[in-house]
Amino acid sequence: MTGTLRHARAVAAKDLRIEVRGRYAVGSLLPFAGTVLIAFGLSLGPGRTLLQQTAPGLLWLAVLFASVLAFRRSYESEGEDGALEGLVLAPVDRASIFLGKAAAVIAELLVLEVLVWLMVVALFDLALRSPGVVAAAFVLGTIGLAAVGSLFGVLTESARAREAVFPLLVLPLATPILVAGVKATALATTGSAGQAVSWLGLLVAFDVVFVAAGTLVFGYLLED
Amino acid sequence: MFGLAPALVRVDLTVDRGETLLIRGPNGAGKSTLLRVIATSLSPTYGGGTVLGFDVMAQREQIRRCTELLGHRTRLYEELTGEENLRFVCALHAADPRAIAPALERVGLTDVAGDRVRGYSQGMRQRLAVARIILRAPDLLLLDEPYAGLDAEAKEIVDDLIDEAKAKGRTVILATHDPTRGRNASRVVHMDGGRVVRAVGASG
Repeated sequence: MTGTLRHARAVAAKDLRIEVRGRYAVGSLLPFAGTVLIAFGLSLGPGRTLLQQTAPGLLWLAVLFASVLAFRRSYESEGEDGALEGLVLAPVDRASIFLGKAAAVIAELLVLEVLVWLMVVALFDLALRSPGVVAAAFVLGTIGLAAVGSLFGVLTESARAREAVFPLLVLPLATPILVAGVKATALATTGSAGQAVSWLGLLVAFDVVFVAAGTLVFGYLLED
Repeated sequence: MFGLAPALVRVDLTVDRGETLLIRGPNGAGKSTLLRVIATSLSPTYGGGTVLGFDVMAQREQIRRCTELLGHRTRLYEELTGEENLRFVCALHAADPRAIAPALERVGLTDVAGDRVRGYSQGMRQRLAVARIILRAPDLLLLDEPYAGLDAEAKEIVDDLIDEAKAKGRTVILATHDPTRGRNASRVVHMDGGRVVRAVGASG
């Protein structure tokens, strides 16, 4: 297990270094998420109550779409000059590659989510009544999204129809995470944090299922 | 299989430990596919084989521990520096990071080790890939057109690497079009249409 974690850390550090150098999150994901929020905010009008009611959903939609871009980006660097073959031929536990790639995406998305959250608070005047619950929802939701994205991202690395295939695989599986995340965030922002526990529990269950599935299945997808 | 046509057909080949085998053949002969099957990067649709005593289907990890494939693609990360690329190799292959500096020096990339690979020429990238082999010192070296894009000096580095591997009793399988290379091969195998059509020299 020590070896698996050490290799996972190496993969995550490599992905994060590439991400920081490429400035993809800041350069592409953040403007994308910001545009989504501003566009919806303008279309919904100046009514403060409506904006606040829809803010959790918009926030998670922006995160979801940005995360799809982040997953694709994560595997794009593996496609450059056949780097993925280097991972295939590395004599390491396949789970370590999955965990490393997922960890890098989690770190990247969490930074993005903090910035998007600040944007929503500023644009929609959203109150933060239960920051702990909101933080838990985002951390748990991000783990689930990263697990799904890192698992199926490896399939699209070699798929001819990468642009079409990846969202088709990931978005249906991400929907339960999206629903639970939106509900938990909405309850936390309206002062009903106590009722968010069941949604957080659902997120934990999804995380366990997707991380376990990724750890077990990733090797087969990577090899074939 | 390559598309609908088989890439390798009834290839029956034995390479002894410590042997340097040269594979020649036109484009599409199946040379690269054969090397990738041996490296366990590809799985054969039918048939099988053993590499260093390990089964190519069932014992891939053991084979990967002691082989290195230098192929058409250098498998480098463009946003990482040359040194960082090698550090990543060390982390995954349990190689000694202290060997990075000597390896970079040997391939003549010490001065640009801190530069991102994005700015490297194709020849420099190929040199860095050669440094990966020096770093790992594998028991089985699989070289697929290793001279492509290299200048004369770098080609000599590859030749020295092959000579050194041979001197240390390591096995080398080299596929190249370059008629001036493969000087120390103990056997030459010619491939065409996915088959071994001729073998010159004795095994063992």
